[in-house]
Amino acid sequence: MSRSSPFRLKVSGANACFTRPEMKVERVSYDIMTPSAARGILEAILWKPAIAWKILQIDVLKPVRWESVRRNEVGAVISARNVQTAMNRGNGNLGLYVEKERQQRAGLFLRDVAYVIHADFEMTDKAGSDDNVTKFEQMFIRRASRGQCFHRPYFGCREFPVDFAFLPRDAEPPAPIPDSRDLGWMLYDMDYTGKEPMPRFFHAVMQHGRVDLRNVEVRS
Amino acid sequence: MILKALAEYYERLLNDPDSGVAPPGFERKPIPYLIVLDKDGRFINIRDTRTGEGKKKTARDFIVPQGEKKTSGVKANLLWDTPQYVFGIPKSDKEKDRKRAADSQEQFLKRIADTFPNDIDDEGISAVRKFLQAKDFTPVFGHELWPEILETKANITFMLEGDTCLVPQRPQVMKHLGEIEDKGETGQPCSITGKADIPAELHPSIKGVWGAQSSGANIVSFNLDAFRSFGKKKGLNAPVGQKTTFAYTTALNTLLAKGSRQRIQVGDASTVFWAREQHEFEDDFSLFLGEPDKGREPDYGPLRSLLSAVRTGIPPGEDTTPFYVLGLAPNASRIAIRFWYEGSVRDLKEKIAQHFEDTDIIRAPHDREFLSLFQLLVATAAEGKADNIPPNLGGEVARSVLNGSVYPRTLLAGAIRRCKAEQKVNRVRAALIKAFLVREARIRKSKIKEVGKMLDTSNDNIGYVLGRLFAVLERIQEQAHSGLNKTIRDTYFSAATSSPLVIFKRLQELAVHHLAKIRNSGKSTVWLDKLMGEVMGKIPASGIPATLVLEDQGRFAVGYYHQRQDFFNTSKNSEEGE
Repeated sequence: MSRSSPFRLKVSGANACFTRPEMKVERVSYDIMTPSAARGILEAILWKPAIAWKILQIDVLKPVRWESVRRNEVGAVISARNVQTAMNRGNGNLGLYVEKERQQRAGLFLRDVAYVIHADFEMTDKAGSDDNVTKFEQMFIRRASRGQCFHRPYFGCREFPVDFAFLPRDAEPPAPIPDSRDLGWMLYDMDYTGKEPMPRFFHAVMQHGRVDLRNVEVRS
Repeated sequence: MILKALAEYYERLLNDPDSGVAPPGFERKPIPYLIVLDKDGRFINIRDTRTGEGKKKTARDFIVPQGEKKTSGVKANLLWDTPQYVFGIPKSDKEKDRKRAADSQEQFLKRIADTFPNDIDDEGISAVRKFLQAKDFTPVFGHELWPEILETKANITFMLEGDTCLVPQRPQVMKHLGEIEDKGETGQPCSITGKADIPAELHPSIKGVWGAQSSGANIVSFNLDAFRSFGKKKGLNAPVGQKTTFAYTTALNTLLAKGSRQRIQVGDASTVFWAREQHEFEDDFSLFLGEPDKGREPDYGPLRSLLSAVRTGIPPGEDTTPFYVLGLAPNASRIAIRFWYEGSVRDLKEKIAQHFEDTDIIRAPHDREFLSLFQLLVATAAEGKADNIPPNLGGEVARSVLNGSVYPRTLLAGAIRRCKAEQKVNRVRAALIKAFLVREARIRKSKIKEVGKMLDTSNDNIGYVLGRLFAVLERIQEQAHSGLNKTIRDTYFSAATSSPLVIFKRLQELAVHHLAKIRNSGKSTVWLDKLMGEVMGKIPASGIPATLVLEDQGRFAVGYYHQRQDFFNTSKNSEEGE
């Protein structure tokens, strides 16, 4: 499959929560952005069935800082069985009352984050005859430089919006933090190909503020 | 990050023979009664493992196969359990309970049979099996300890006559269980270690978090449908391998255990700390930030030497051993992470020294030399009760101490609010306010000269000057009327802090009368006049403002405290005056 040339996007925000799966109830974030979160940001700017984003590298521009916040979340989901009964009967009450189901939960979030996402995309087999790499490259450059997006990209949770800026090829990228650390195992992305979606993990290592994702071993 | 560091700590404990930590598949459990059997499974005796007097008897801890997480169903532990499981004693005489008890007993036997197929040749196991299969428990029921067991429904396990260890601790048994435990590499990659393992559906409970259920709570749990993703059930939402699960919970429970030297309470956050390798800082840390035992004067030697090392510019050494601090707080049968710190010992030493430097303020000789975090927090709470510390504040403060960042503003507001409500400034609050201001000034690189450790006559901040003036005015009143029940402080402190313009006018009128009274009684007021003149001289030409911003209110409190301490600590002033 043909690939695009690599792009760089600077993203920043006041808060972020890249929730660790094992601590997603009382949320605790990963130290840095996960590849799947980066993919989500790019997809918010441009996504078509014809392309699939690949994250190549993440540069961390600000030191990892934490903040603990209590906020309200909803503790219930609408039951599938109730929906089924209601559909069969033709009527029924499927409302979920946020006020009744509200509960307070703690979260350990990141504050004041900024990253540079290095990524390219690959054409998928859904690409039509008049789809080509250059077309989507130009579309992405145009949209990202103008600040256009399908939906507002966010850092892990909807309440943490992303400010993004496209970095042109000749622009000097901002310097990452001079910090090297083993970040442990991190969620890479979900694998939707099987019968049931399965998580995939990789060993994240930050070297001089950079996490290289090009040749990582992904386990699933 | 957190779970990984805990799992690594478990490895450290496992390699340390003194730690007494349970090996994989086992847990430490207090077991009060042991059934002693002979090799043929005949009952010999019941041994009481408890020590202590009266109702405070505590059972000895034993390492036993890890218990099942019991909910409403019948689930037997391996070789140890309550009388309902071991002997089939029903809760009541009801038909339902009797059936349940019989079922429990059957499960208990079945668990042993399933785990130890007939070919494992161990005298202990065969004795237990013979004893349970014979179902002749009359000698047990006749034992003098039996009524007590029946009443407490305490855990029971078995011991072979002449043995020094329990049946579940016999070498053959441990070896066999270890082999079962090591199931090999199958399943899903663990989200903590990346190694293939079978994901744990339920994680063992964490016990000992202050305010959480006494039966334990969970860090990893998905106890409501809303917490589930992609239709996955329980622990499958986050594949954490069974080995990792066991390791992190065991490590955390060890850290949180009663009498652990590696836990302190910070506000509502139960805080544990550990180093990656054995380190003396583990012992010092609780001395630095914890609350000393009641009635015992702590030995501040290590803290003093740390501070003097930092003050004289000698860095605390290039110690890069990683050190972790974890703050936990309960929330609805779950445990939330309040704060998490990961850094080197050296880094932490510097941050702690900085904290004590910032909170250092002039004190009365009988005051304790250093203030614990708990004392600082409780100073912002109504009635000085730990329960009234605002939630989350403890975690925020601990985080700013560990990271060397600014203290939360709520801390300043809380301290000032308590000063106003109680109409007085004590040492702890003055120290807190000073620490907040000093740290904020340093981090924001402010050029303004901030309040110091003791009285600074050159500081001309309006808040600070007014605070000093208030102390002087109070002193004048005290000199005029000795032994007053209610001074101007009790009436005006709060109002003077928030709206100084109005109040100080009134106070100065009062002072004129007070000074006259002192003179009439034949004493000299020269010293007081001079001091008042000096302080008044610092008030800017624009006069006393109508209101003070929060920071200036803080400086007011500190100025008042400094001036007042100055009266007490330097006797020369009052001697000159009288």
